[in-house]
Amino acid sequence: MNYMGSLLFSLAWRNLWRNRRRTLVILFAIVLGVWAMIFTAAFMRGMSQQVLEDTINNLTGHIQIHASQYLDDPVIDHRFQLLDEALFESLNNPQIKQISSRLRVPAVIASERESTGLIMVGIDPENESGISFLEDSIVEGRYLTDPGDSGIIIGRKLAERLETRLGKRIVLMSQDKDNKITDRGFRIVGLFDTQLEALEKGFVFTGLETSEELLGIKGEVSEISILLYDINQVDVIAAELQQQNPQLDVKTWSQLEPVSKLIVDLYENFHLIWHLIVFLAMGFGIVNTLLMSVFERTREFGLFQSLGLKPGFIMGQVWVESVLLLSIGLLAGNLFAWLSVLATGEGIDVSAFAQGMELAHLSNIIPFVIISKDLILANSVVIILGMLTSLYPAWHASRLVPADAITRV
Amino acid sequence: MSTVVSCKHVNKIYRQGLIEVRALTDINLDIEAGDFICLSGPSGSGKSTLLNMIGGLDSPTSGEIIVDGQRVDQMNKSALAELRLHKIGFVFQAYNLIPVLTARENVEMVMQMQGDSKDYRKQHSLAILREVGLEGMEDRKPSELSGGQQQRVAVARAIVDKPCLVLADEPTANLDSVNADNLLKLMRDMAEQHEMTFIISTHDPLVMQRAKRLIKLHDGQIVENNKQN
Amino acid sequence: MHKLQFMLIKLFVLCLLSTQAIAADARQLIKDAIDHFRGLSSYSEASMIIHRPDWQRSMDMKIWTRGLDKSLVRITAPKKDMGNGSLLLGDDMWSYTPKINKVIKIPSSMSHQSWMGSDFSNNDVARADDLIDNYTHTILEQREEKGITIYVIESVPHDDAPVVWGKEILTVRDDHVLLEHKFYDQDGILVKQLVTREIKFISGRNLATIERMQKVDADDEWTEFRLHHIQFDADISNTTFTLSNLRNPRF
Repeated sequence: MNYMGSLLFSLAWRNLWRNRRRTLVILFAIVLGVWAMIFTAAFMRGMSQQVLEDTINNLTGHIQIHASQYLDDPVIDHRFQLLDEALFESLNNPQIKQISSRLRVPAVIASERESTGLIMVGIDPENESGISFLEDSIVEGRYLTDPGDSGIIIGRKLAERLETRLGKRIVLMSQDKDNKITDRGFRIVGLFDTQLEALEKGFVFTGLETSEELLGIKGEVSEISILLYDINQVDVIAAELQQQNPQLDVKTWSQLEPVSKLIVDLYENFHLIWHLIVFLAMGFGIVNTLLMSVFERTREFGLFQSLGLKPGFIMGQVWVESVLLLSIGLLAGNLFAWLSVLATGEGIDVSAFAQGMELAHLSNIIPFVIISKDLILANSVVIILGMLTSLYPAWHASRLVPADAITRV
Repeated sequence: MSTVVSCKHVNKIYRQGLIEVRALTDINLDIEAGDFICLSGPSGSGKSTLLNMIGGLDSPTSGEIIVDGQRVDQMNKSALAELRLHKIGFVFQAYNLIPVLTARENVEMVMQMQGDSKDYRKQHSLAILREVGLEGMEDRKPSELSGGQQQRVAVARAIVDKPCLVLADEPTANLDSVNADNLLKLMRDMAEQHEMTFIISTHDPLVMQRAKRLIKLHDGQIVENNKQN
Repeated sequence: MHKLQFMLIKLFVLCLLSTQAIAADARQLIKDAIDHFRGLSSYSEASMIIHRPDWQRSMDMKIWTRGLDKSLVRITAPKKDMGNGSLLLGDDMWSYTPKINKVIKIPSSMSHQSWMGSDFSNNDVARADDLIDNYTHTILEQREEKGITIYVIESVPHDDAPVVWGKEILTVRDDHVLLEHKFYDQDGILVKQLVTREIKFISGRNLATIERMQKVDADDEWTEFRLHHIQFDADISNTTFTLSNLRNPRF
C-alpha cells in the first residue's frame, strides 16, 4: 500500500496548490479560527485559573474545617478544640501540605471618625504564610511576627475609609465567649492591598493568641484551612477528614465558594462550546471550498475511475488534501496563538471594567495561560471534526459516475 | 484468434423524465484480439455509449457484454476498476491527463497502481514515451504540452502495461490533420508491435481509412461491419 | 555613706508619693466629676436640642440613674417620639420604640453610631466610666478664677484601651463641674468637643445645666443637652432598670 500512499500524498499536495489563491484564503480562515480558539482558550484558562487561585488564596484554602454550625452562623459560639487527638491524628496526612488554624469572628472596627463591621481573623503568622494572600499583600508596615503579636493588619482601602493609617490605633469590638461585648485598642502594624476590594475592606488580622485573649478562649479555633499538594485530591481527602471527624464540618473550596466553582466549570465547558462555534464557521468554509474544487475536477475524477482507480482512492485523495490543509492551518494557527500569548506578557489589564470583574470574582490583570489540555482540545476539535467534515466532499467526489464525469466538459 | 469483446443483444435506453431515448438497439458484436477497429457514425449514433459500456464506464439496459471472458455488465464498481486497471486502456478526446502530474508521472501512475517497482516504472515509462516520440518532454506538465503531445502521452499511458484492449473515444477530434495522422499511425504501430486490440470511435474519415475494420452505427444500430485493407 | 543612701531613698519615696498624689488627683478629679453629675442615684428632667444648618429639633426626656452602670432614658416630647426609651445596664444597651413595640439590643456594631440622631454616640452615653481606668491622666494646668480652682487634665488612652481618641482634654472645676471635654485624634487634631455653656446651683450643688457637643469640622451642627431639674439620691425602685419596664413604662 506504500506506493498508493505516496501517490495519494503527492497528488493531494499538488492539488492543494493548484488554486493557490483559494487555498490561501481558506488556509487563512483556518489559521484565524485556530488562533481564535487557542487565544480565547488561553484567556478563559487565565481567567479560570485566576478565579481558582484567588478563591484558594482568599482564606479559603483547598479544604476548611469548622464546627458544625459555623458556616450557617459564623460566630464565636461555633468553635472547636484545636488539640483534639482524633483531629490531630487525621491532619497528619502526607497529602496535606500546610495547615492554618484561625479564629474568625464578626467584629466592629472604629477609628476617630468612622466605624464599620467586618471579620476579625486571629492567625498564627507562620502557619498562615503561603496559605493565603496576606503575607505577600503587605504594602506598608510589616507582617505579624508571632501568635502573640498584638498589632493588627488592615486593608489599605479600609484604612482610607477609616481615615487612619499605619502606626495609628483603632478599636476592635466583638462578642466574647459569653456573648458579652469585648473590645480593645490595636495598633496598625501593617496594611495589605489585594485586587479584591471586598477583601480589603472586610477583613483584619491579628495574632491568634491576641484574639483568643480578647474573646476569652484558649486552644479553640473557628476554622482550619488546609492546603494539599494536589488540588485534584481535594474530594478524597475531604471525605476522609469528614469520616475521621464526624462532629466537625469539612468542606472543599468548591463547596465553600460555589460561585467560583461555577465560574471555573463554566469556563471549562465553554472551551468546547466556543471551539465548536468557531469550527462551525470554519467547517462550512472548508466543505464549501472542497466541494467547489471537487466540482471543478469532475472530469479528472472520471478519468481516475476510467484508469481503474477505485472510488476509495478518489475519496482518499480529496480527504488527504483536506487533512493536509487542516494540518497546515493548525500548525500556523498554533504558532500564531502562541506568539500572541507571548506578546501579551503578564496578561491584560481589565481594571477599566474592574467593577464588573470583581462581581465575577476576578482581579484586574488577566493572564493568558496555555495549557496542554486546552491545546489538545482545540487541535482535536479541528482535526477530528475537520476529518469527518472532509469526508463529505471526498465521498461526493468518489460517487461521480464515470461516464457522466468524463462526458461533462 | 480469440474473442476479446463480445456484445449480445445489448440495448441502452436513457430516461429523461418521461421521455425514453433509445441509444443502442440490439447490438451484437464480436471483436477478435489484435483487431484495429473504427467505430463511426454521426453524432448521437451511439458510438461513445457503446465504447463506454465495453469499458464498463456505463452499463447496458439489457444484454450481455463480455470482455476477455468476463461479464462486464454484471460487475460491481470495484471489479470494474480492477478490469480497467489491468485489461483496458483509455484514450479520450481531451482532458486525458492528470494536470498536476508530469507526462512521465501520468504514465507511471497506472504502473504504480499495478504495483510495479520504481526502477521498472522509470525505465518503462521513459521507453514508452520515447516510443511515442516525446523524448525530452518527460517532465513537462500537460499544460506545457501541445494537444497532439498530450494525446501521445494518453496513448503511452493506455498501452504502457499492455492491456488486451484499448478504447479511444474521438482521439483525433481536437487535432489538426497532420497530428491526427501521426497519432493514428502511432496507435496502429503500437497495436501491431504490442499485439493489442484497439477500438476507436470517430467520425474522422482519416481514422476510418486506417482501420482494419469499420463498424458504422446509425440511430443506435449497426449498419455496416466490414473488414478493409 | 549610710546617711546619704537613706537620704536618697527618702527623696525617691517622697517623689514617688508626690507623683502618685498628682496622678491620683487627676484620676480622682475625673471620677469625682462623673460621680458629681450622676450621684448615687438620680432622677432628672432634661431636653436635648439637635441643631443642623437647615433644621433643629428638640426632645424632652426623663432620666433615672443608679450608680455608674444603670440608667433609663424616656422621651416625653415631641409627640412622635414620645415613649422612646433607652436602657443601659453595664456595657449593654437596649432601646425601645413604641411605634413598632419592640425592644432592640443595640449591637456592638452600632456603639459608635449616633444616639437618637444626636452628636453623641451610643458609646458616649453608655461608656462614660471607661474614662477612668483606660487612660493615663495628667494635670496640665491649674488656675484660679473667681476663687475657684480650675484643672486642665490630659487623658491619654492606654495602647490596648478600647478608645479611638489620641487624647482627651478635660477642664474641671474644683467643685467637680466639667467645663470642657475635648476629643483629639491620634494626630493631635481636635475632632469634637463638649462645652458647658451654663452652670446653675440646683439640688444643693453647682451643675452644668447646658452642655453642647459639637464636631469641629461641622460648624453649624451641634447637640445641646439642657438640664431642667434634678433630684439626687432619689428613691428609685429596682424594677425601673428592667427590660419589662423599658417596654411598659410605669415611670
